[in-house]
Amino acid sequence: MKKLKFTDLLITIMIGVVFGVLMKFWDDLYTVVKPIIPVARQLLYGMWFMVGPFAFLLLRKPGTAFIASIAGASLSAFAGHGIEVLMYGFAQGLAAELLFAAFRYKRYSIMIAGLAGIASCLASFGLDLIYGYAALETWALIVKYGLRAISAFIFTGIFAVYIVRALEATGVTSLIRPVDKKEYTLLDQ
Amino acid sequence: MFNWFTPKRKTWLFRVNPALKFIVFFAFLIITLVNQSLPFAISQAVLYGILFYVFSGYSLKKLSLLSIPLVISFLSTGLTMLLFGKGEAVLWQWGLFKISEESIQHALLLGSKSLSFGFVGFTFILTIQPVLFFYAMMQQFRLPSKYAYSFIAAFRLIPAVTEELQIRRNALKVRNIQFSKGVKGLYERLQSYTVPLFAQSIRRAQRIAVAMEAKQYQMGAARTYYYPTQYNTIDRVFLLVMICCLCSAFLLSVYR
Repeated sequence: MKKLKFTDLLITIMIGVVFGVLMKFWDDLYTVVKPIIPVARQLLYGMWFMVGPFAFLLLRKPGTAFIASIAGASLSAFAGHGIEVLMYGFAQGLAAELLFAAFRYKRYSIMIAGLAGIASCLASFGLDLIYGYAALETWALIVKYGLRAISAFIFTGIFAVYIVRALEATGVTSLIRPVDKKEYTLLDQ
Repeated sequence: MFNWFTPKRKTWLFRVNPALKFIVFFAFLIITLVNQSLPFAISQAVLYGILFYVFSGYSLKKLSLLSIPLVISFLSTGLTMLLFGKGEAVLWQWGLFKISEESIQHALLLGSKSLSFGFVGFTFILTIQPVLFFYAMMQQFRLPSKYAYSFIAAFRLIPAVTEELQIRRNALKVRNIQFSKGVKGLYERLQSYTVPLFAQSIRRAQRIAVAMEAKQYQMGAARTYYYPTQYNTIDRVFLLVMICCLCSAFLLSVYR
């Protein structure tokens, strides 16, 4: 198994922190939309699940989804979202991590990343249940969490995969991905 | 911006070991999270409110400014539950909106919980120094140094990240970039902000890691600490006071 080097770890945590900053700005948008259109609000919710799967898609090493998720949550906590986001970060990161682990950390497709997002969504639903957010009428419950799951898939699956591809095009991923066998053979020629 | 976070006076909470404070407050949060009884939730919110308003050492003006988001979250979490919460004993109904006795109870419970979270979180953040918190986590709770230093390094880069975000925003504005409508526009917006931001932060993080290793930082090696932290008498007092407070909050809620 590929272990995390110090460089990988720092980059993972950096990604989490950058997401934390982004989520701070995203939150402004979310707060504006929140009271007006509850449906749109749930559709924006996927951003909160994106950090873990995104980090994994970028670094492709075990542990990154979990660590990045916690890093993002701790930044959010420091930025004034309240410490409870740490628990959400923990649960969501763990769920995404377990899903990638179930595929032996070898699948980076839209489908698997999206499923990781849905796993995170389920984990946050579990916490909401304990918290008491979920004591809604059944129809409201289904609408709320159904939309949230769709949003999770769009953000962590489609958006994250395409943004990682765009980042690959910038060449920055060559700093972090392990060197391919193909590249060694190129050297021999 | 960081100057704003200088307290008027340093209360005893400032002298408590930051890692211990974190563990205790986190335990409080878990208790708040799993608690389902309304009286206990309210008495907890009052207890943490006292911690926040009396012992954080900040001026009343700043505290009331910080209270605004707490009030908003109290109202917004409570209101959804009030209008859409499930319940049998209906008091008022209009279309999809329905207020019942249960939903009022639930709304109050949720509201007190979110207040508790806000108070505890703010009290913690206002009374620690982040760097010392990570040093204490390493020394008192054996957090591996690689995590602590990565966090400290990444946190130090936040001003650079926000500045870059601002520059990017201005650059897009100057070029008068128009985004499409709907989900596609959402993606375009996300991509145009995140890609340069991530590319730059990854490069920066990688350079820092390489520089640290070049200066002989080794993961897992035994090390000494620039800021030594330890337990003092104040930590025992803190632990004792906190346990007593929580117990009295619980007893108050049971024997009203």
